[in-house]
Amino acid sequence: MKKGRATDTVLEHAALPWLQAAVLACLLPHALHLPLWLSLGVASTLAWSLNLALRQGSLPPRWLLLLAVLAACGGIVLEYRSLFGREPGVAMLVAMATLKLLELRSRRDALLLLILACFLLLTHFFHSQNLPTALWLLFAVWLIVAAMLRLQTSALPPRAMLHTAARLGMQAMPLTLVLFLLFPRISGPLWGLPHDAQRARSGLSEHVAPGSIADLALSGDIAFRVRFAAGVPARNFLYWRGPVLEHFDGSAWTPARPGGGKPRLETTAPAIAYETTLEPSRQRWLLALDAPTSWPATARLDAGLSLVAREPLHERQRLSFSSSLDYRYNRDPNPGELQRNLRLPPGSNPRSQALGRQWRDEIADPQARVERALKLFTQAPFAYTLQPPLLGPQAIDEFLFEQQRGFCEHYAAAFALLMRAAGVPARVVTGYQGGELNAVDGYLVIRQSDAHAWSEVWLAGQGWRRVDPTAAVAPERIELGLVAALPAGEPLPLLAAMRAGWLLELRDRWDALNNAWNQRVLGFNAERQREWLAGLGLNPGDWRRWALFLGAGTSGLLALLALWLLQQRPRRDPWRKEWDKALRILARREVNCAPGEAPLQLLARVESRIPNLAPDFARVVNTYLRARYGPAAGEVERQVALRELRAAVAQLDKGRWF
Amino acid sequence: MGFSTVDRVKTAFFRRHSDGGGPILLDRRRIYLLPTAAGLLYAVMLLTMLLAAINYNLALGHLLVFLLLALGLNTMLHSFRNLHRLRLTPGRCAPAFAGESVHFPLWIEADDDEPRLALEVSSAGQLLLRLEQCPTGGDWLMLPIGSQVRGWLPLPRLKLGSRYPLGLFIAWSNLQPEMRALIYPAPRHTPLPPPRENTGEQGSGDDGLDDFAGFRDRQPADSPRHVAWRASSRQVDERPLLVKQFAGGSHPEYLFDWNDCLPADDETRLSQLCGWVLAADAAGNRYGLRLPNRIIDCDRGSEHRQRCLEALALYPAGSA
Amino acid sequence: MPGNPAPSIASLNTVLARASEVILGKERELRLALSCLLAGGHLLLEDLPGMGKTTLAQTLASLLGLDYARIQFTSDLLPADITGVSIFEREHGEFRFVPGPVFTQLLLADEINRATPKTQSALLEAMEEGQVTSEGMTRPLPRPFFVIATQNPSHQIGTFPLPESQLDRFLMRLSLGYPDPAAERALLAAGSRRAGARALPAVLHATDLPALQEAAAATHAAAPLIEYVQALLAATRHHPAFMHGLSPRAGLALLAAARAWAWLAGREMVIPDDIQAVFPALAGHRLRSAQGSGFASQEELAALLRTVPIP
Repeated sequence: MKKGRATDTVLEHAALPWLQAAVLACLLPHALHLPLWLSLGVASTLAWSLNLALRQGSLPPRWLLLLAVLAACGGIVLEYRSLFGREPGVAMLVAMATLKLLELRSRRDALLLLILACFLLLTHFFHSQNLPTALWLLFAVWLIVAAMLRLQTSALPPRAMLHTAARLGMQAMPLTLVLFLLFPRISGPLWGLPHDAQRARSGLSEHVAPGSIADLALSGDIAFRVRFAAGVPARNFLYWRGPVLEHFDGSAWTPARPGGGKPRLETTAPAIAYETTLEPSRQRWLLALDAPTSWPATARLDAGLSLVAREPLHERQRLSFSSSLDYRYNRDPNPGELQRNLRLPPGSNPRSQALGRQWRDEIADPQARVERALKLFTQAPFAYTLQPPLLGPQAIDEFLFEQQRGFCEHYAAAFALLMRAAGVPARVVTGYQGGELNAVDGYLVIRQSDAHAWSEVWLAGQGWRRVDPTAAVAPERIELGLVAALPAGEPLPLLAAMRAGWLLELRDRWDALNNAWNQRVLGFNAERQREWLAGLGLNPGDWRRWALFLGAGTSGLLALLALWLLQQRPRRDPWRKEWDKALRILARREVNCAPGEAPLQLLARVESRIPNLAPDFARVVNTYLRARYGPAAGEVERQVALRELRAAVAQLDKGRWF
Repeated sequence: MGFSTVDRVKTAFFRRHSDGGGPILLDRRRIYLLPTAAGLLYAVMLLTMLLAAINYNLALGHLLVFLLLALGLNTMLHSFRNLHRLRLTPGRCAPAFAGESVHFPLWIEADDDEPRLALEVSSAGQLLLRLEQCPTGGDWLMLPIGSQVRGWLPLPRLKLGSRYPLGLFIAWSNLQPEMRALIYPAPRHTPLPPPRENTGEQGSGDDGLDDFAGFRDRQPADSPRHVAWRASSRQVDERPLLVKQFAGGSHPEYLFDWNDCLPADDETRLSQLCGWVLAADAAGNRYGLRLPNRIIDCDRGSEHRQRCLEALALYPAGSA
Repeated sequence: MPGNPAPSIASLNTVLARASEVILGKERELRLALSCLLAGGHLLLEDLPGMGKTTLAQTLASLLGLDYARIQFTSDLLPADITGVSIFEREHGEFRFVPGPVFTQLLLADEINRATPKTQSALLEAMEEGQVTSEGMTRPLPRPFFVIATQNPSHQIGTFPLPESQLDRFLMRLSLGYPDPAAERALLAAGSRRAGARALPAVLHATDLPALQEAAAATHAAAPLIEYVQALLAATRHHPAFMHGLSPRAGLALLAAARAWAWLAGREMVIPDDIQAVFPALAGHRLRSAQGSGFASQEELAALLRTVPIP
């Protein structure tokens, strides 16, 4: 189309700030993830283009832009070791979009840039899909739409431009919702995810050495949320079981090789049901409450009584469990299990091993040996701290006999070592302990700072029993949580540090909002959609009906919107409405009123064409003229006149049959 | 002009018969809607984004795609609404000289209070005019159309289109209002022929008010406004008041004859006659016209000028 | 008067009835003419000679009890012949103003387009201002002051058509046209009524008129009606049939005339029918036709009325 080109060529200078604002809004969150040099380059390019727009200067020459593109490509290759893949791809897009600002020659170029910006918005979701991101992107979409609008028209002042853009967006909302709910969801991925899609996240580690959990405790990130069907159990029962670590190499505890038979569980308390929403951890541990009795089909219970998912958790997942809080576990041990849990690397931590052996020789009852060890922790001046001193190669010896300051993993590891040396099978269990009840939505929130390590010992007749040496040193940790247990002056996890009432409430509300967002919006995947449709009485397998639903919903909404948009005409007054009704009645008798035909003229025509209708119509005309053109009367008179007119029109309607 | 095959096919497909001289109301049946190239690109982009959202399981990605999709569909409605219920009324077109650009006036007015923005009128693929906003009370669109030859110039088929609001869709309507402009011959400036012998007739009555010629004694019917008070006061008693006297100028009178023109083809002659008419009119002279099929008596004034130019424009028709 | 308008309307109806005994078969035109006077406007009658223009003016003057003067316009008529002159009286050493025929209540300006534009404009100034200014003295004209001017169709020989700006000073332009056959038969049988027109007894007194005019002007015009008037004005402004549209002043005149018409019909409010009734008389001499050089024809005006929707 020649014409299109003719109108597209000019890009007004006054439109540039809109484009820059939209692109800036689009790029700003990327600064969190892009390498610093690229962010700086983007910022300076934006500043340059802003300067050009202000001075109405001419665009830089092409060779300079080409140079900039090459430089960006080079930088990206150096940074990511590739030009392809998700992260370098996004970086390339960002660089191109920014440089395009310096090459806007026509309206078409600008429109292209804005459409590209829409794609850039999507790339933010690789990093975060939380509520603030969503709100910011909504804002960015707003600016993009306003900029697109600005490209087409210069007639609106900026406020009206923003207002119109907002209105366009608002009108699109119902349709967005329908599409979101009804558009068939497909479970990804469609093609292999690039390996960089799974970035390391902080979370439980299967490798516990002194200090590894303390790091985690500083993070206020949410690990998972739980909603109990009935009430929340007492805090000291809230042990969320992660990996069981049976292998000790002298410094770190690691899980045993898989296998080792099935766990035998005898429950002595009724199971309680709950639903857990796990944040993606890139791990397979499902963190059920000790000890799980039922779990989803996608998980299995391993020999260590931990639930393991088939796939690592890349997405937030909502799972239903039930657990019994009182149980006997493996009263008859699996073969090899006890031997494995007595094994100690010879020569490591000799003083601790010697202490254990001493207890084995002195105390006959294994149970009493456990008590003896716990007594050691309470009697000696052990301190619970997030900042344990650095320990040497014989870490546990140093901890037990010299520093005596440590975090949960120190206590659990030391205790397990002492027990093994004392001839009691023992191991370290990691997971989370406690959690915080959000008063707003009733969810129990478990954060990374709730990560914990404890021990288990095997006693004849009782099976594996949980012993938490931390509870002996700092009972507040179990009763009240981490912050209460730490002495003053300790660095605290940011979110956990909020103790002020209103701040806490604010945080709770925010968490609840995020949770609702996660559950309702982000959690609405193919599976949830099927559940939801089934709830509506629609068989999700019935594709034809589904398509019908979607098509009808979309086109119905569009039709409604169209109707609404096109019907925004000046409202007619009630008299005029009645008059039009009367005219329609006449039209059925083939007396059509011309647009400019005055009432009395029409009456004269009716008198000659349909004499028997004339008296009735005369009454309509008289009431209409009096009511519509007569001197303004009070509200009561107006209503009376309107009623009269309605009656007259009704009479006319009746009269037309005779 | 660059009238491509696609345009030709479209013209044939969307052809409408003439819309007459009355107002044209753009309604559902008259408005066409198609995505623009940018709109198609937008669709492709949305599809790509949807695939990415599915692949990476981005719930918000889905939401964004659907929002943008709904937004796009919404702008389709707005594009349509932007033209819907616009009323175009042909106006009267002032004549012009061949070679000049004629401005066809078209009154544009919205039937409701909604703003109509970024309206573009084009003809045969060429943009004639862009109206940023149609004022609520309506406005004249003055469509510039180039004229080449004298005679009646019909208004070519028009296309009123708009890419408002986002440029993703183009809504347009084809218009063929029955309008024509009279194109006078292009004037050729040549020296005037000798004036006609003065017939002794001294113009009409109002000529006597032009030039001051002297004083005379006042008579009772003279307007007091013409009394020369200063001159009268200088006089001695016995004389009556003096009145300023005016005389009409004597202007030459021309009869422009077809046969006086340079021996050339008809168009050149007409151009020459046209130039003479304009020159005589500018000088305020009386003039007449003698064409092979018609004689126009000597006169002056804008109506006379118009009559003469009309005769030249429509020659050899309009011999009445 | 507004409290009890009935007797006045009755008397005006008597005026109409009496007048239609003189001017046969022209009730609508008579009604329009009376509306025009009620609205305080001047009337232009355009017709061929011998159609009863003068008779109409005389009839109205007599019936309304107005002072009446007549000027026959000719090409040698001078402005002072209308407005009057100041004569310098030697014995007193000062000017004395001798008022012209314009100092009357109803002035019949016969064949106004035969006078020179200068003379025409002297009258038209008086019509517009309601006063005569001559030699630095402003003299008010009597109240009420009406002009009924007659003119021959402009294409007749030896005429100076009134310029548009001056035509605008006439509220209405009417043309009586040929009488219908029945009226013509009656006319032929009874002979000319022109002589009788002067002798008709007055139904009203000149002093009644201002009150009647006031009452007519108080006729209610509702918002939708104003809207209609506006739509009509807008339509004339961009209708291809007309060269340029009606001015805001013409809009006011339209409303005033419609008010008088409605009041004369015994209505307390103006309805679209009233607007349509007076519109052709009002717009005919204010709208120039785009085709040819004349004024808008009655057909063009009727077509316009048909197409403008009544809101």
